[in-house]
Amino acid sequence: MDTSTILITGMGVISAAGNNAGETLLSFKQGTRNAGPVTLFPTILKSPVFEVRRLPAGYYREGLRTLSLALIAVDQALQDARLGDLSKFRVGVCMGTTVASQLNALQFYKSYRESGAAPMTSVDRFLKGNLAEFIARKIGARGPQASVVNACSSGTDAIGIALSWLKSGLCDIAIAGGADELNHVPYCGFNSLGIANPGLCAPFDRDRKGLNLGEGAGVLVMETRETARKRGASADLMLSGYGSSSDAYHLTAPSPEGVGLKAALAAALSEAGIGPSSIGFVNAHGTGTHDNDQVEGTVLAEVFGPGLKMLSTKGLTGHTLGAAGGIEAVFTSLGLREGWIPASAGFQNRDEAIPLAPVRETTAISGRYAISTSLAFGGTNAAIVIGREAGS
Amino acid sequence: MKIVGIGMVCSEGQGIASLEKALQRGWKEPVTVVTPHIPGGAYPAYLVDFANLPDKTLLKKIRRSDAVSKMSVLAAADALANSGIKDITQKKLGIILTTAFGPHVTTFNFLDDILDHGDAAVSPTTFSNSVHNAAASYIAMSLHIKGPTITITQFQFSFQSGLQLAQAWLDQGRCDYVLAGAVDQYGDVLGYVADHKLTTARDGKIKPFTFKPTVQVPGEGAAFFLLGNKNGGEAYCTVDAIHTNDDPDHDQSVDINIIDANGMLPDESAYLPSLSKEIPTAAYSPLFGSMMIGSAFNMAAGALMLKQQRQYATPVQDNPHTIRLLTETEDCALAKIRCTGYNCYAERSVIYLTKV
Repeated sequence: MDTSTILITGMGVISAAGNNAGETLLSFKQGTRNAGPVTLFPTILKSPVFEVRRLPAGYYREGLRTLSLALIAVDQALQDARLGDLSKFRVGVCMGTTVASQLNALQFYKSYRESGAAPMTSVDRFLKGNLAEFIARKIGARGPQASVVNACSSGTDAIGIALSWLKSGLCDIAIAGGADELNHVPYCGFNSLGIANPGLCAPFDRDRKGLNLGEGAGVLVMETRETARKRGASADLMLSGYGSSSDAYHLTAPSPEGVGLKAALAAALSEAGIGPSSIGFVNAHGTGTHDNDQVEGTVLAEVFGPGLKMLSTKGLTGHTLGAAGGIEAVFTSLGLREGWIPASAGFQNRDEAIPLAPVRETTAISGRYAISTSLAFGGTNAAIVIGREAGS
Repeated sequence: MKIVGIGMVCSEGQGIASLEKALQRGWKEPVTVVTPHIPGGAYPAYLVDFANLPDKTLLKKIRRSDAVSKMSVLAAADALANSGIKDITQKKLGIILTTAFGPHVTTFNFLDDILDHGDAAVSPTTFSNSVHNAAASYIAMSLHIKGPTITITQFQFSFQSGLQLAQAWLDQGRCDYVLAGAVDQYGDVLGYVADHKLTTARDGKIKPFTFKPTVQVPGEGAAFFLLGNKNGGEAYCTVDAIHTNDDPDHDQSVDINIIDANGMLPDESAYLPSLSKEIPTAAYSPLFGSMMIGSAFNMAAGALMLKQQRQYATPVQDNPHTIRLLTETEDCALAKIRCTGYNCYAERSVIYLTKV
């Protein structure tokens, strides 16, 4: 079987920037920033967030918001890929998340702590809510499954793992991406780290003051060229490379030299068989925190040169944690397909300490390839190369 | 792919020698853990005794980490050392950590912070350690590993999923070696949940062959494997195949079946049709406790048996279904072992191990 080319045949996305790809592109053109105070849980904290304001009808699941978001993106992606009967194929499901992996139900725990007993409803939801397992069972996928819990790089890593599955023949089709809800626990956690922005985030800006949390899901359907040919599917995009590397430096801070990010970029480019000059743009992790943007901007300038077209979409979606890699893979794909990228929302003043600035306005892009990066807690770095099919 | 090193932390201690000792000795009574929030509550459990672990250097280095990270780092370091490969961290080395529940005790500590002090006065250190990939990151930092580092959670099939990925990474040349392992921790909330949803063995004895009804005794620990395609001579065994959801190799002849049955499902009778009258069956969960990632410990037992060419009797031999059990500990010729697990949907996973 020819596993050298992995096509992207479907995409699904939901975030504060829109409930699907069409709404998202409109938001991007208008530069809409749908941020506001937290409405999903009570809190005294004030950092604005990017919530998904209305879930499409039929997707609400009590206490399983991350799963709801994931299913919306999966259904969109399956529809986009025109995948109906999956029984003829080995279909793998690989989903990144942070929230769905933790039994962090405050009310359950409060009850247990106070009385030594608690209803099992939250536990049952947690046990049934493993993203990859639930999605695979719902759509009848019988291939490999993995829920990737690599903090903020989970979504990118999930897509990279799916690439490995497809190339090794473990499955014919893979559904991969990430999903996370806005949740009380990480909201408090990021505030405690002192990196939650009291205002709106401004990735790569001189005066950046931290991140805003968000929520959403982004999913790709990927398949070998042979599988696509067999089922009569066509595609204009492909997943060309993936790289992952650890800083081995610090639990919460990136390596100042960006050692891991450089290695991840080199591995992704190498697998794609291209050099840095082939990259049309980079959708950067760009959280709006001082350290991330400093390190990432410096490494991107070093690898791709100061003329690189680069943006962060976190100013339009917030930092969606385990979903970010999935959502931004979809955004990167859309950018390649549409031939433009939006202004890097929130960026106003160049930081002279960063030798690269993101785009300030909607920008036409050229080139067949683009990169999406993710940098995570624990010093994990991941990068994927997405390409346009020749002649598309 | 070959298993070239094994590291372990469990109630028996640290290192593959601790597993060997337990396999040789047989069943041992668990400790009793008093639960702080349940008046008079106490459960049997197989817990890691950190105070009596031999390695103090690494523990000191990662003193701010939680128990999940400590167990992971110690087991991972042991696996590297056990391989005997010089300068292993200078090679293309990846980390795949798998877990069913991750650092849940630290997560509950963080919830304590929120409940006791409010949203604005929680500990950033506790939050950082409550993130699922903290343990893998501590491994990378402590052992200076800069390759791809992934954490996967898939409940009963977490470990199998990690093994599949390790195989793919090795075959594609993404890594020369992969440090793949599984870790889970006991905590009083998990003990309460397990007791509520399952049946705790009040005598402390897991009976893996009763199948229905089942009894469980919570365990904790970490088992790590250094995996590679290159090193053959000193390897424990080859991992021939890892299947989830199906088993196309089921007709293959094997010398021993090891099953993951451990009372973590209220009904484990799905195992019964997978067993054969001709092939002796073993289950080693009574040595280390009930864990969704128990398959990693069973695989370690299988790998040890293939390397030593020695079989170990199944430690608890209650056998109401009169299946053929592995009842004797003795030297013998072993070529192939199958490790089988089921999840709560009665889906099957298998790992085939072969003598090098």
